[in-house]
Parts: sequence; structure tokens; C-alpha cells
Amino acid sequence: MRVLVLHAHPVAESYNGALFRHICENLTKAGHQVDACDLYAEGFDPVLTQQERLDYHDLVKNIMPVAGHVDRVMKADALVLCYPVWNFGMPAIMKGYLDRVFLPGISFKLEAGKVKPNLQHIKKVAVVTSYGATPLRAFLAGNPPKRFAMRTLRYLCKPGASFSYQALYDMNRVSLEKRNQFLSRVGDLMARF
Amino acid sequence: MKVLVVYCHPVPESFCASVKSTTVEALRKAGHEVDLLDLYEEDFNPVMPVEERRIYNSMTSGEQCAYPEHVARLMSAEGIIFVYPTWWYGMPAMLKGWLDRVWIPGVAFNISAEGGVITSNLRHIKRLGVITMCGAPMWWSYVVGHPGKRTILRGVRQLINLKAKSFFLAHYLMDVSTEQSRADYLGKVQAKVAKF
Repeated sequence: MRVLVLHAHPVAESYNGALFRHICENLTKAGHQVDACDLYAEGFDPVLTQQERLDYHDLVKNIMPVAGHVDRVMKADALVLCYPVWNFGMPAIMKGYLDRVFLPGISFKLEAGKVKPNLQHIKKVAVVTSYGATPLRAFLAGNPPKRFAMRTLRYLCKPGASFSYQALYDMNRVSLEKRNQFLSRVGDLMARF
Repeated sequence: MKVLVVYCHPVPESFCASVKSTTVEALRKAGHEVDLLDLYEEDFNPVMPVEERRIYNSMTSGEQCAYPEHVARLMSAEGIIFVYPTWWYGMPAMLKGWLDRVWIPGVAFNISAEGGVITSNLRHIKRLGVITMCGAPMWWSYVVGHPGKRTILRGVRQLINLKAKSFFLAHYLMDVSTEQSRADYLGKVQAKVAKF
């Protein structure tokens, strides 16, 4: 399978960076073709511009500023997202990827004001993330990033696509042992992806 | 009351811009002091750079923020209203980045050195409002769990005054909105904000 791995963390030697590399290595080892997209390393600009907003519903013009990224999404058979949760949401650079690349005509179609999912070629999705918050604090906030992944993202992909949400909570306090366990759990998941 | 209005939309002629103007006017009419922060106009950079992330957990004051002036405005606000379009069930990247880079340790909350426990630091903010335009219908927004609404009304809310009053006012189905629906919505915004 061709797997697009989207990653959003500024620090390469961070735990999240380690997760990203581990994901890519294990997918490659399992025989998948990996398209590793490190948004920070690629210098992705997450700000949707005035012109992009004006052209948003023009299915020819809207993809022009991000044609390369659109192409990578359309070629992928599976998606893996790897990012930290900051302030109960994804980092701005990841959110902006959705704002700018998940366009009408690409990830969804707008028919008479109604949204139709359009990522039917995506058969597998995994979200790998880490929270500063404890599970309780995340639960009290209604865990918005989890909802986004499990409901919205899932809805866009092929019906019945396999879906996995892997989260490590309480990052500021969790032990080295727990972090290593999580890393190997994610590695195993990718080896079987 | 001193109210910080955080506005985020790239198009000055958009409906969202009218909503922002209505909000500001209604607040002023009700006797509030308004501080308008227009993120696109300021060309705010939402991407947290590597050197900022490296010191993030050890930050202890707003001086370490790349936007100290924004910190000062946040610290002197008694109420805060967010006005933005909902994109992908959440706030635009620029607004999310504002939370990432300004609502930092030492400003919005403190991380204790010994236990890594988070304690809030914005108890002086006693009112919270969200005014947003969604493409999706209301029922669908609830089915997907309204993640954008939760990020602010439940996530951000943990950091402000525990007894803070809040409201959420959305215009759903924006892509098939009519002149009438938009006018009605502006009326609702006015009424809601007048009681802020």
C-alpha cells in the first residue's frame, strides 16, 4: 500500500519525532511504500490566504496553491497522522493542512450545500498522538481531537475503512517505560498495517 | 468590562467581517471597552518555531512569548469573544496557532516544576463567547461531536474563571445561507452580545 504519513512537530529529536520515524521505518519494513510528509521540515504554510478563500469553491483554481500536496493525498491508499495535541487540538500547521489541502473536489464534494465524502480511495487510517493532558482532563474537555479523527476523518474515507486512534496521555509526567511501551505498540501496529 | 474580541477571517468583505463589526458595536453600545484583535490583519504567524517548542515546558512568563503585546491584552481582558469561520469543524489554523503561541505556560497556565501538574492562570476572565459560521448543518455538527466548540468551550474554558458565563452562537449551513438567514443571525449576535 502507498501510505501518506503526515507529521507535525517542530523538534526533530522530540518524542513525537521519534514516533514519526518509528512509524515510517516499520511501514517500510512491512513492505509499504511510504510517503513521509513532515510539515515542519517541508516548511508548510498553514495560513489559508484571502485569494484561496475566494477561490475555495472553484474546483479548478482551488488546488493550484497546494497541487503537490493534493497529488500526494490522491495517490495514497492509507493515511497515518502523527502529531502532538496542543490546547485540545492539533498544532496549527496540521490544522492548516486540512484547511488548505482537504478542499472541495478533493476530500469532499459539495452538492446543493451538502457534503459528500470523497476520500473513498483511503482504506486505512491511523492517528498517533500525545497529550500533555491527563485522560481525565481530556475527557472533561470532550476530547476534541479524538472526535475529529474518529468521526470526521473516518466519515471522509472509504466506508468500513480500518481506523485506529493511538494516544499517550499526560506526557509531562509519564515514565520512560510507558513511553517506550507506547513506541513499541505503535511500531507493532505499523508492522501489521 | 474590558472585552478582547479575537477575530480571524482572511476576507475583509466576508459575512464573518460583518459579524465581527456587529459584535464590536453591540459591545460598545452595552458600555464595554472593546479591544479588537484581527489576526489576519496583523499577519499573525501561527506556526510555533522549533526554539519556542524547546523551551515551552519551562516557560514561566509572558516575556518568553513572541507576541508579548498579545499577552498583555489577554492578561488585561475580563471577557473574551472569538469570532471565526468553522473550517473542518474547528477554528482556522491561524486562530489555533494563536492559542498555541500565546496561551502558553506562564501566561494561560503554569506547569509545576515537580509534578508537571497544570494550574490555570486566567481566572480574571469571567465571560467567554464563541461566534462562528459553520458550513455543516447543526445536527451533523453534533453527530461529529462539535470538536471546535469543545476545544474552546471545554478546553480553553478550563483555564479561565471557573464560574465564567459562556455562550456559543453559530450560523449553520453557511453555504446555503440566504440574505434573510444572515440578517436574522446578525440580529441574534446583537442581542446575545448586548447581554454579555
